[in-house]
Amino acid sequence: MLRLAIDTGGTFTDFVLREQASGASWFAKTLSTPSEPARATLEGIDRLASVRPFRLADIGEILIATTVATNAILERKGGRTALVTTRGFRDVLIMGRSKRFDTYDLWLDKPRPLVPRRAIHEVDERIGPDGEVLAPLDPDSVAAVAERLAADGVESVAVSLLHAYANPAHERAAGGILAERLGGPARNRKVPISLSSDVSPRRREYERTSTVVANAYVKPIVGRFLAELEAAFASLGFTGELRVMQSNGGLTTPALAREYPVNIIESGPAAGVLACRATGARERLNHVITFDMGGTTAKVGVIDDGEPAITSTFEVDGVNLRKWSGLPLDVPAVELVEIGAGGGSIASTRLGLVAVGPESAGAEPGPVCYARGGGRATLTDANLVLGYLDPDSFAGGQIRIDRGAAERATREQIGEPLGLDLAAAAWGVHRIANANMERALRSMSIERGRDPRDYALVAFGGAGPLHACALARALGIPRVIVPRGAGVASAIGLLEAERNLTVSLTRTIGLDGPEAASELAGLFAGLEARARELIGGSGGRPIAWQRHAHLRYAGQGFELRIAMPAGPIDAAFPARAREAFDSRYEAEYGYAQREEPAEGTDWFLTGGPGRNPAPAPASGPTGSPGRDARTDREDADSDPQTHPDPPRSGATGEGGRTAGSARPAPIGTVTAWLADASDRSGGAWADWPVFDRDGLRTGDRLAGPAIVAERESTTLLPAGDTARVSGEGNLLIDVSAREGGTPP
Amino acid sequence: MKNGNTATVDPVTLSVLWNGLISVADDMGTTLRHTAYSAAVREGDDFSTGIFDARGRLVAQGNFSPGHLGSMPYVVRHVLDHFAPADFEPGDCVLLNDSFMGSGHYPDCFMTSPLFVDGRLAGFAVNIAHHVDMGGAVPGSQIVDVREAFQEGLRILPVRIARRGKLREDVLRLILGNVRLPEIVRGDLLAQRNANAVAAERYAGLVGKHGSDRVEAAIDAILDRSEARMRELIEALPDGTWSHEDFMDDDTRAGEPLRFHVEVTVDGDSIVLDWSASSDQVEAGINSYINYTRAYSGFAVKVFTDPHLPQNEGVNRPVEIRARSGSFFNPEYPAPSSGRAINQIRMFEVVCGAFAKMRPEPAMASFSHWSNPVMGGVDDRPGRGRRPFVFYDVIYGGYGGRSSKDGAEGLCPVFNATNIPVEVHESQAPVRVRRLEFIPDSAGAGRFRGGCGVRKDVELLASRATVSLSGDRHRLFPPGLAGGRPGTRGETVLNPGREEARLASKETRDLVRGDVVSYRLSGAGGYGPPGERDEEAIRRDLADGYLSAGAAREVYGLEESRIDSRNTP
Repeated sequence: MLRLAIDTGGTFTDFVLREQASGASWFAKTLSTPSEPARATLEGIDRLASVRPFRLADIGEILIATTVATNAILERKGGRTALVTTRGFRDVLIMGRSKRFDTYDLWLDKPRPLVPRRAIHEVDERIGPDGEVLAPLDPDSVAAVAERLAADGVESVAVSLLHAYANPAHERAAGGILAERLGGPARNRKVPISLSSDVSPRRREYERTSTVVANAYVKPIVGRFLAELEAAFASLGFTGELRVMQSNGGLTTPALAREYPVNIIESGPAAGVLACRATGARERLNHVITFDMGGTTAKVGVIDDGEPAITSTFEVDGVNLRKWSGLPLDVPAVELVEIGAGGGSIASTRLGLVAVGPESAGAEPGPVCYARGGGRATLTDANLVLGYLDPDSFAGGQIRIDRGAAERATREQIGEPLGLDLAAAAWGVHRIANANMERALRSMSIERGRDPRDYALVAFGGAGPLHACALARALGIPRVIVPRGAGVASAIGLLEAERNLTVSLTRTIGLDGPEAASELAGLFAGLEARARELIGGSGGRPIAWQRHAHLRYAGQGFELRIAMPAGPIDAAFPARAREAFDSRYEAEYGYAQREEPAEGTDWFLTGGPGRNPAPAPASGPTGSPGRDARTDREDADSDPQTHPDPPRSGATGEGGRTAGSARPAPIGTVTAWLADASDRSGGAWADWPVFDRDGLRTGDRLAGPAIVAERESTTLLPAGDTARVSGEGNLLIDVSAREGGTPP
Repeated sequence: MKNGNTATVDPVTLSVLWNGLISVADDMGTTLRHTAYSAAVREGDDFSTGIFDARGRLVAQGNFSPGHLGSMPYVVRHVLDHFAPADFEPGDCVLLNDSFMGSGHYPDCFMTSPLFVDGRLAGFAVNIAHHVDMGGAVPGSQIVDVREAFQEGLRILPVRIARRGKLREDVLRLILGNVRLPEIVRGDLLAQRNANAVAAERYAGLVGKHGSDRVEAAIDAILDRSEARMRELIEALPDGTWSHEDFMDDDTRAGEPLRFHVEVTVDGDSIVLDWSASSDQVEAGINSYINYTRAYSGFAVKVFTDPHLPQNEGVNRPVEIRARSGSFFNPEYPAPSSGRAINQIRMFEVVCGAFAKMRPEPAMASFSHWSNPVMGGVDDRPGRGRRPFVFYDVIYGGYGGRSSKDGAEGLCPVFNATNIPVEVHESQAPVRVRRLEFIPDSAGAGRFRGGCGVRKDVELLASRATVSLSGDRHRLFPPGLAGGRPGTRGETVLNPGREEARLASKETRDLVRGDVVSYRLSGAGGYGPPGERDEEAIRRDLADGYLSAGAAREVYGLEESRIDSRNTP
């Protein structure tokens, strides 16, 4: 069977075609076409077919990640949306949580809500915190709102009533009336209705309302996008299944993606994390820190025991990624700490210090060296000055690089104000960017109770492999992996995703009471029933369920997300859940309060057909854009003790070097900055050998200092670190404790 | 004040160290927020953190509440007045909440811990959390209607509450025996201890990595550069003296309005804010002890010079805050002060007014005055086990009009905390919120209008409770600026639509089940003449229901024919 993965990003759309039986993959990349996203998709399919001929009729499954929902929010180009809420609470959405994202800036503005006040309407009803009906829903008040919305030509409606998480009856009734009055045969149109109790049944009215409004807002545009894609694929003979990536790393059906589009906001980044999981799994490493560094930001995620860390809330459309500056979305997403550190991050000086980011020159105008009008020195400019980037093959040779301009900008904007020479200035920018990212890595690892020594860092994105080794060293992470196909990682990740669906509920339940087990059993049975209703048939495959909960010590206000024990919910279940919580709490905060009562507030059930069997080892032909498909696999692995490779058959490669002794020849040398191992601020220019990633073969070994160049990124191997090409084609780097020192 | 350290630190290492120190303070905050129990800390972000060096100099602070931050340097001094450095061991914590030593009222408990590196005292970590209750006359320990501090609750002078990381049960007994919600107070004290423990570990890691000589040299450089930058910014201001004053309506004695008078003097590269011409201290729990005065004066100076200046001792060096002893802004013990939080808006506005005379652009008109009512008693609804409760609330309206845009709506003024969700409040306390919404036509008109006042109606579900009110702008209008109109005045109404009663802005009241307190905040002031307002902006406000057709006509002179009736609510 052939599977096709498509990641529609803001700048590029990436494609991966995989032959499931052999594991062979082919890649392609096209420029995205934001005004008609489907067009780039069809172009890419053509391009891919020119490398490895296929017809859509041969494809069993197409997997999609897309930024279409995110962009609709960022650009405020969603549908004309109205909000219906409880009388007396019209302004919840506009008030938000009322906190400035910058304490000392009283001139800032709050995030602009997706609906203006004029489109927020009240209905008569009231539900209490335990779900009790305090005032019945007045259908006439809903009907009156419906009339108004019809007159306003509203395209999508969100309903968010107080305490609807505890009792959805009023939202459902109101939704029914609205749907009937706004759509139906009489009006010959259908206006989608989103209910907060369906989209995000969680306590806290602002966050829940913000979430359901975002859902309603992007519904029309996501619906159109998927309809266009389905029509285009069908016209080309596609009869397989289309699946859409969700922010939580699970795949869903187009129908559910249309209904709950707020769940696909972070689909691309989630797929990137799954790609890292797959890379780790192939190298037999299931504790992974993911590090994706692109032009604007760096994103750090975590895989524990093969499972990505999930957050239950995040913000979209923030200012410089600062908390409280964006619109909160209370839906599960792969947890990422994102900071403003990318190749385009602007370097500046202030108070005699070096600062990098969060401002970014982005892709346009881009770094000074792009010579596209960017005037402010960036991290990419500094890396170019340091000799780490090759001006002739930057971004596959597509961008002409002006090194002189980068040097001038770095000297004038950083060096001269600080009294540093050019090299020291550029090295300073590089180091500060590393320090900023180190903080993001630290917050995802040490501060959350994860010991970095147990993890491997999987680096991808254009700039990730350039900074990965230094970061790993700073955190004490012993191994870095630079995967093959890092430039299309998210698309690869799609192929590794499972289908799943998460349903949730807010209800405070103590874990220590005699009723806890029966209450939890009832609650999860209800969630399961709802999940089954949404999933529909599962194609005969049994559904695997995973339970999570937000737990805290009774009376606390901050909860930890804890995986609940598997198996039946029996009398011992609450105590086992509690133990999992106490342990996690202790890991995070250094102590547990085992004598204090514990309680859960939010309960999550994720269901799907279970993990795909362990990824098949790749052994067939692979290729990359613009190049003929060729075999570049080897079956020898040099270090079976630490990295036993899966048994595999078939492929032999071109190079045919002997395992364990391969010292590939560099394609050249460059003069680049070599940091002084003892004094981090010093260093000297030195000749670094440069290797072509595509020319490396399984078993090849490299010792730093070395630079490994490939089309979309560059790996920096500092002195003291050693790298080896695994049987999977990944670059495995042993990171020494000290730069220039010996590996641990 | 230059320092004698001879070690040199290159600019890049200095940058790394500086960010590292700030991140220690931020990490303390994360720990405190995540392990705290009280709604004020965990939902309201009503806490702060700071790192000091071995000499007690403020080095870095987390980006939390400015009222606490300004007080911290003095907290450390008072702790060092009571404990010799040799007395400290790793893991020790010293607690204080004295209004004079701390941040001006008892709920704010400061915890200070020594930071050791290789057995040597290398600095201090301080955090402060607003506790849910510290005993005294009313639940929540915030009450304006008292005559002396003894009525306000438990006063804690510096006391060692933890030894080697372990809270001392004997001291805890003394404290917890005096507060209404001992479990929650205990939990928050634990959270405070945790935050300092995180600081100890992270600080030791930082110093271990870079070496203590380098860190000390870096701190010297950080403070000197921050000072130099602050002096540069002050130097850029015109020399001279500018005064401004405004008033609080009253204290609970219904006497004269309270005069808030500031004199701002810029002389070269230093600045003095003198509050001496303000009212005398009052016999009501509203006085602003000197640390609180320093905190919000310093905050305002920072806002009007460079909001992104670092927060450390260097920045504070060129800034002097004065207030006559015995005055409202530097009262003598036992002046009561538990409701002092309502002052900060006016303090900021008064400094803003003085700066507006110096340079009009960066000023804004007055805020919608916030409200900070605290209701408490016993939750005796059937089946709930008669638990004591404290319903701590914060209600925020809009900002004043600014020189280039309208005032923000529904945003925390000055001190910067979050609001508390209705669904959280109703799940935890015997209250029902009847409504929470903007008040149309409350905004001060102007070329750029102010934000709206907010109305919040809260019903008591327990059989009885006490509410202490803390609000203002019920009598005197919130002024506009540069020709902008004032906002409407606020009011607090008991049982609206029934046997309505007007409550004073700061009284304490007993309530019975079914009573509804309706808080109606003042509107914020406008900026610039209303006649200069863009007609499109007026239409937008009409369509959004911030403005009625009547007010559009009366205030802005918009003719009937130009009002699109379909767009008015």
